[in-house]
Amino acid sequence: MSPHTSTADAGFSLKEWIFTTDHKRVGVLYLFGSMAAFTVAGTMAMLIRIELANIGPQLVESGTQYNQWLYFHGAAMILAFLIPGLTGFAANYFLPILIGARDVAFPRINALSVWLFYSAIILALIGIAVPDSPDIMWTGYPPYSINTDANTALYVFTVLLLGFSSILGAVNFLVTVIYMRAPGMGWNQLNMFVWTTIAAFLLQLIFIPVLASAMILLLFDKYLGTHFFDPAAGGDVLLYQNLFWFYSHPAVYVIFLPAMGILFEVIATMGKNRIFNYKACVYGGVGGLVLISGLVWVHHLFVSGMPDWIRIGQMVTTLLISVPVGLMALSLWGTLYKASITYNTAMMYAAACLFLLLIGGLTGIPLALTPLTVNLTETSFIYAHFHFIMGIFATFALFSGIYYWFPKMTGRFAEGKLATIGFWLNLTGVNVTFWPLFIIGVRGMPRRYFDYEMFPEFEPYHQVATLGAFMVAVAMALTIGNWIYSAFAGDKAPRNPWGSKSLEWTHAPSPPGPGNFPEDVVVDKDWTPYDYNK
Amino acid sequence: MKKPLPPLLFMAGVLLASLPALAGEGEIPNPAAGWDALWNEVMIDLLAIGAIFGIAAAYMLIKYRAKSPTDVGSGPKLSKAQAVGWALIPVAIFLADDFYLGANGWSLWNDYRRIPENAMEVKVTGYQWYWEFEYENGVVTDELTVPVGRPVVLRMTSEDVIHSFGMPKYRVTEDLMPGRITYIWFNPVEAGETVATCREFCGLAHANMYTTVIALPPVEFEEWMAGEKAEAEEGETEAEGEKD
Amino acid sequence: MTTESGAPAHHWETSWAPLAVVAGTFFLFPLTFIAYFVYDSLFLTAIFAGIGTPLLIAGIAKWVNEGLAYKNIVEGAAVPGMSIFIFSEALVFLALFVGYWMIHLKADTWPPEGTPAIGSAVPILMTLVLVVSSFTMQRGEAKLEAGDRGGFVNSLIVTMVLGALFLGLSLYEYNHLLGLGFGTSANAFSSAFYTLTGFHAAHVLVGLGIFAAMLIPALGGRTNKTFVRCAALYWHFVVVVSFFVVPQVYFW
Ligand code: HEA
Ligand code: HEA
Ligand code: CUA
Ligand SMILES: [Cu+2]
Repeated sequence: MSPHTSTADAGFSLKEWIFTTDHKRVGVLYLFGSMAAFTVAGTMAMLIRIELANIGPQLVESGTQYNQWLYFHGAAMILAFLIPGLTGFAANYFLPILIGARDVAFPRINALSVWLFYSAIILALIGIAVPDSPDIMWTGYPPYSINTDANTALYVFTVLLLGFSSILGAVNFLVTVIYMRAPGMGWNQLNMFVWTTIAAFLLQLIFIPVLASAMILLLFDKYLGTHFFDPAAGGDVLLYQNLFWFYSHPAVYVIFLPAMGILFEVIATMGKNRIFNYKACVYGGVGGLVLISGLVWVHHLFVSGMPDWIRIGQMVTTLLISVPVGLMALSLWGTLYKASITYNTAMMYAAACLFLLLIGGLTGIPLALTPLTVNLTETSFIYAHFHFIMGIFATFALFSGIYYWFPKMTGRFAEGKLATIGFWLNLTGVNVTFWPLFIIGVRGMPRRYFDYEMFPEFEPYHQVATLGAFMVAVAMALTIGNWIYSAFAGDKAPRNPWGSKSLEWTHAPSPPGPGNFPEDVVVDKDWTPYDYNK
Repeated sequence: MKKPLPPLLFMAGVLLASLPALAGEGEIPNPAAGWDALWNEVMIDLLAIGAIFGIAAAYMLIKYRAKSPTDVGSGPKLSKAQAVGWALIPVAIFLADDFYLGANGWSLWNDYRRIPENAMEVKVTGYQWYWEFEYENGVVTDELTVPVGRPVVLRMTSEDVIHSFGMPKYRVTEDLMPGRITYIWFNPVEAGETVATCREFCGLAHANMYTTVIALPPVEFEEWMAGEKAEAEEGETEAEGEKD
Repeated sequence: MTTESGAPAHHWETSWAPLAVVAGTFFLFPLTFIAYFVYDSLFLTAIFAGIGTPLLIAGIAKWVNEGLAYKNIVEGAAVPGMSIFIFSEALVFLALFVGYWMIHLKADTWPPEGTPAIGSAVPILMTLVLVVSSFTMQRGEAKLEAGDRGGFVNSLIVTMVLGALFLGLSLYEYNHLLGLGFGTSANAFSSAFYTLTGFHAAHVLVGLGIFAAMLIPALGGRTNKTFVRCAALYWHFVVVVSFFVVPQVYFW
């Protein structure tokens, strides 16, 4: 590599960071912001778990304080941690490099996106400090969110800022992938992570506008006196729920898809194997998921008095999601077949994800069945389901990606004892936390309850769950601590430590400098990022 | 493309077999029991899928460890026909399972939504943060008391925000919304008490918005109802007396 | 980032424009709104608006200034970018319409009680104004393409005057209706009426802002064809939206 484009830049310059338009630095800013949100929201989760450990008020006097924590926890984890972590950090840093581009199509709009994201986080944090913190849950259903004295405007603007940020990101990345692939790179030569990410951006582009309109109507109803959700004046409370879930169901695939993409990268690289049935996975799996993701939102309204035919219709469409997801799973599993797997922290997280996907995904199936949902809805079964598939599976996938790309981003390894202990403690902790919640969920433990005096028999289960949560918190502290330590003092890594065939490893220095590549990237007709064994 | 046929046939068969017309007539169904049956069936189905995928993953993760650092994987390069087969056959199998589950779900759903003719009606109203039950004869209570052996249909609405009436024992939940009336019905087959909780977030005391649902043998129920009625009338005359 | 020869740059690209735009937006919209509507503090409202407005304007000015000189890595990529963005915008309008339909179709009588008779002359005039402005914009673009910068500036000014006329008519109409007691909270129709027309008018306003950002440098002799193309696309979109808004809220 030619020396002048290599990693070493002349020291740290704050100005170069906050005014940066470079996609990698924007990506790193996303990572810092999303990890900050994760830490605060995770701390809220610990407060929640302590409160629930025993019957009777523990930390709080009344429900409101708890509701504020839970609001922040849910909203921040989804909107400020996972979506920005996956489509902000991972996509920003790696997508351009994976397609051999020197930056995104619109670098300054990219910088605009990341700062919009930060301003949303600041707004959310202001929400903790004000006396009228939002207590409306991450779903913000009216009429409660309109009747409450709490500051619903903070919620609305947080969502709008993030939404605008994501739409601009989507425009940017779609144009980037369409127009800026390295010469010679055809659609069937893209990394799985590229496919899953642009699918996620496509979903953002199509569905965020609907969420944005729900938010605008909510804001107007509360502060300008309109009546969209007020049945007394001709409005309709269900309008909000329909608009909200029309976005927020696809949003779960905005998280799920890039998470899967990362797993494909890690497993293919560590297993030195080609993706099994690539085209079926891309066109059937990823494409199929995008196609039906907009037709299933009513499964969040199964007990909201929607007409019976919609409830049954969307029961069927929801079940059908297992088909594209199943195709993706088959390709993921198939990539292990006759692989040659080297284990490291990234691969361990990826391996765990296979099982977490089964637990979290398959528990979605009873929820999809309308007559079963009528007993499971709004219980701890629901939050056990989505913690397994989202809070754990997708988070582990992101962590897998961070470990995998760590040497690329820092030039150092993050391997070692801390990483291993962190992993095993985390895996044990999440299972200890959420299995008991499945069990009492089926027996009727409601969610969003700060207290449960009507169900004294559930107390031991909650205690186990809280114990597990503490294991997770320690594991997270070890993991994050290990990253910070390793970024400065980890063992030096060569340019392509995993022997990958993907462009970020073969063509870019670690860490890549301005412009990413010393020379323009050109790929052959039969190149693929996975050709270990021609 | 012969292979996907059996699952397709199977699927069609299941669809036919589950036509709601075949559900027994006359007898009052018990959705709660139906729920347990379907739940068990789904659990077996999912455990089977989970086991197949889980064991396959565990096996491959162990079996295909690298022998030496320079080894590369030798996963198959699929021919066109193989690739199509590996897409269509799994799709057919997944679809078959989905339709099987969906058909079962549908028929149970019909039980949930078809109110038996002799059902007793109770109006339920949700308030922040308590329940109000109004019987056909005008009696109003804050706990729900029902006779064993007679299905009960709840017609529900709310006066303020959204609530949701959930009874784990009878395996039903449905939201109560301002401006809309929703219903659920259940079949109290044996005497006993159970708890009903609010299942939709409604603010400060959401966690305290629960009540008791009591199923009494018919005779006791009549006695209880007579008592309530007398009390209510007494209250009325008293109130009228005060006015005069 | 690439220099013109395609060789990699040797330094990190920076620009303070995005950060300034975000900071301005942050103060001017969320904080100002919250200060005014939630905390009823005129003092805070004035401070936040006072901080936000100059920041936003400075950011945009800087951005435009850089943008005129900037050579995109891919020539003209902004045009498909703008088209994709417009697609997303169209969906915001669609979602608002769906809300309107759900309320309208559910109602027993429409318009609901409390709705005054709303004349259709003004909205038709407003639509005509916009349609004409679409043509003047088109002509301006053609002039620029032909190298006639003066003609471009003239057409642009005409377009802006028409846009401003549209906004003026909107205000006139709102004022008239408010005088009849038809405010945002009058009934479900007034809610939808002001939301849809207001959202559309806000787009016209943004369009005027974009034109101003084009006009000022153009007067000094600096233009950028891609920029003009994108602005024109946006404007045509806003005009087309009025074909949906007007018949729906005035004639249905
Ligand atoms: C990343 C996030 C994520 C993902 C990927 C999913 C995936 C799925 N979810 Fe989940 N879900 C959430 C996040 C997520 N969910 C959240 C946050 C909520 C609660 C929101 C709230 O109220 O706050 C929720 C709630 C929720 C509900 C509403 C419950 C209620 O409120 O009453 C339902 C109902 O249908 C549901 C179903 C499903 C289904 C069917 C899938 C499917 O996509 C799963 C598909 C995967 C598999 C099936 C496993 C792998 C496939 C195979 C091995 C192939 C073979 C399998 C078969 C043939 C069955 N989810
Ligand atoms: C990405 C999504 C995500 C993630 C990762 C998590 C992570 C966790 N969640 Fe959360 N959760 C949600 C998304 C997520 N959650 C959502 C959407 C809801 C619904 C909200 C609603 O109802 O509106 C919810 C609701 C929810 C509930 C339901 C409460 C109720 O309904 O009453 C509970 C209860 O146990 C819970 C627990 C936890 C725990 C213990 C973790 C742990 O895994 C967290 C561990 C992480 C940390 C602790 C932070 C990092 C740690 C350090 C930096 C160390 C130092 C810190 C300490 C020692 C405190 N969550
Ligand atoms: Cu009522 Cu929750
Ligand atoms: Cu969903």
